[in-house]
Amino acid sequence: MHSAPALLLERVERAHASGSGRFLLEVDAFAVRRGEAVALTGPSGTGKSTMLDLLALASRPTSAGRFVLATREGGEVDVAAAWDAGDLDLLTATRAVHVGYVLQQGGLLPFLTLRENMRLAQRVGGRGDLARIEELARRLGIDGLLDRKPATLSVGQRQRAAIARALAHGPEIVLADEPTASVHPALADTVLALLVEQVRAADAALVIATHDPERAARHGIEICAAILATDGTARSRFSRPAGAAP
Amino acid sequence: MRRLALVAALAWRDLVHEARLFACTATGFAAVLAPLLVLFALKHGVIEGLRETLVQNPRARMVVNTANRGFDQQFLATLAARPDVAFVVPRTRTLNAEARFERPDRAGTVFRAELLATAAGDPLLGAAPAPGPRGIVASASLAARLELAPGMEVTLRAPRGAGASREVLELAMTVASIAPPSAFDRDGAFVALPVLALVDDFTDGLVAPGAEPQDVSAARVFAGFRAHARRLEDVVAIDHALRRGGVDVDTRAGEIAGLLELDRNLGLLFAVIAGLGGAGYLVSLAVGLYANVERKRRDFALMRLIGLSGRDLLLLPAIQATCIAQAGSALAVAVALAVTRVVNAVAAEAASADARAVCILDPAHAAAACAATLAGAILAAAFAGARAARIEPAEGIRDE
Repeated sequence: MHSAPALLLERVERAHASGSGRFLLEVDAFAVRRGEAVALTGPSGTGKSTMLDLLALASRPTSAGRFVLATREGGEVDVAAAWDAGDLDLLTATRAVHVGYVLQQGGLLPFLTLRENMRLAQRVGGRGDLARIEELARRLGIDGLLDRKPATLSVGQRQRAAIARALAHGPEIVLADEPTASVHPALADTVLALLVEQVRAADAALVIATHDPERAARHGIEICAAILATDGTARSRFSRPAGAAP
Repeated sequence: MRRLALVAALAWRDLVHEARLFACTATGFAAVLAPLLVLFALKHGVIEGLRETLVQNPRARMVVNTANRGFDQQFLATLAARPDVAFVVPRTRTLNAEARFERPDRAGTVFRAELLATAAGDPLLGAAPAPGPRGIVASASLAARLELAPGMEVTLRAPRGAGASREVLELAMTVASIAPPSAFDRDGAFVALPVLALVDDFTDGLVAPGAEPQDVSAARVFAGFRAHARRLEDVVAIDHALRRGGVDVDTRAGEIAGLLELDRNLGLLFAVIAGLGGAGYLVSLAVGLYANVERKRRDFALMRLIGLSGRDLLLLPAIQATCIAQAGSALAVAVALAVTRVVNAVAAEAASADARAVCILDPAHAAAACAATLAGAILAAAFAGARAARIEPAEGIRDE
């Protein structure tokens, strides 16, 4: 039996100002299940980050036909309705518990140690699990660095720590915005492999934005490319209907 | 409550992480607040001190007529009824208003002293009760000469005539109390009006030796009066009113008018400086904390993304502002206290030994400054925090 998609979007739009002027992101249909890994690709300015922010409940859609987040326990959060009602508390609480976000860089608070960064995510997400922190750190190869602050680490170590932080509270949706862009190319494969492996192990859905579809494909991530408008308007579209999922 | 503890812990960790910056910000606030505190201490010490000295010295509010004249009791009652007059007591002719005092246990040691009428509520005597018909309140210098203490027996003698016709009025009196030194700076004794009237009548030959003090008749006319204005400011008006009525008086009206004007001008000066300084301080506090929140925009966005609420982020800068404000005002109070001590030491060297401190940091003023700092800091931080809390979590997390 197929579980409901962790995220299901239909007719969701987000307009935003980009460097070259107004830009419209259209999502006619997009679904992702736990256990799936999807890479959003496309030239810069096509709305990959905007899409991730929408999925993270961190950015308000301009309009939304349907936008539902299904939890592992079988609950549903009507994200579209929450944005409509301005129920930011519900969105914040949902994000805290169910979403983990890996940023391109700087996904850690500089004034906390790695362990404290992960503890914070757990406490805000209502899940205290010190053993999970140790386990994640061991698997990501940063178990000796847990009591250090981000500034004392290398870029690669920081990025692995950011992944551990995003996974610390056991979210079912993990988002990553160019997670390998700021690390050395030789390290990029390692970081990406660790991300995919840990998300699979946690039975979560993974959506990343990347400008490097080949590398993503090598790690078994399904590609979802931005479709640019052909009529010359500044529009792009991501499409991955629920029925199309294997 | 657990959430508050979490946010407080985050706020504190952030401050400690940037301990040097924390110290700089707090020191910056202290640098503005400390001079303001010293200014207030100076105002308190100098101006209030000057004012208090004048206001509290009852002689500054005294109005006494100069030439001996005839004032009926109707005139005195009218004077006493003025709303700006606090106290009126009649005087008898100056030459008749004196007596010799002797302690029964030290016969032969006699001192001459002026007699002054007094009554209940005499500002010169302060809290001391008015003496009864057989009591005296000795002036400080008379008390020192005769080594008087309250409760002692003392003999009052008033002579009249000379040679064979010399007669003496002798009254056994009790020392009711000793007047404060500010009341009268010569040898004098405050007595009830009947005693003064008796000595006057005896000296004029109207009564025999051995007469007792009697209630003063309503028809009696007095040579003068001693009045006290209710407030320092009233002296000038009473002085002018009496002079217009043809009564020459001796007051410190000129001196008082000058001092009141000085007080007003200095008060205005202090108010302007303190107002400007205080407003500048609050502005510096506000922009400092606001800049702090702007600088941390990215961290705030990340905390929003992790799932801290807008309320949490409103609270976080407020908690930090509280810490900074408290540290800053504590430092400012410490510096101001040290400066106050130095100023007072320098002033004491220059002035006479009994000079009062010119710079007094009132604990209430220090507490008010700390409270104003705290309120201003929280207000400024809440303003800045509200901005941080309103932004969508997706804003500010990227470097673009």
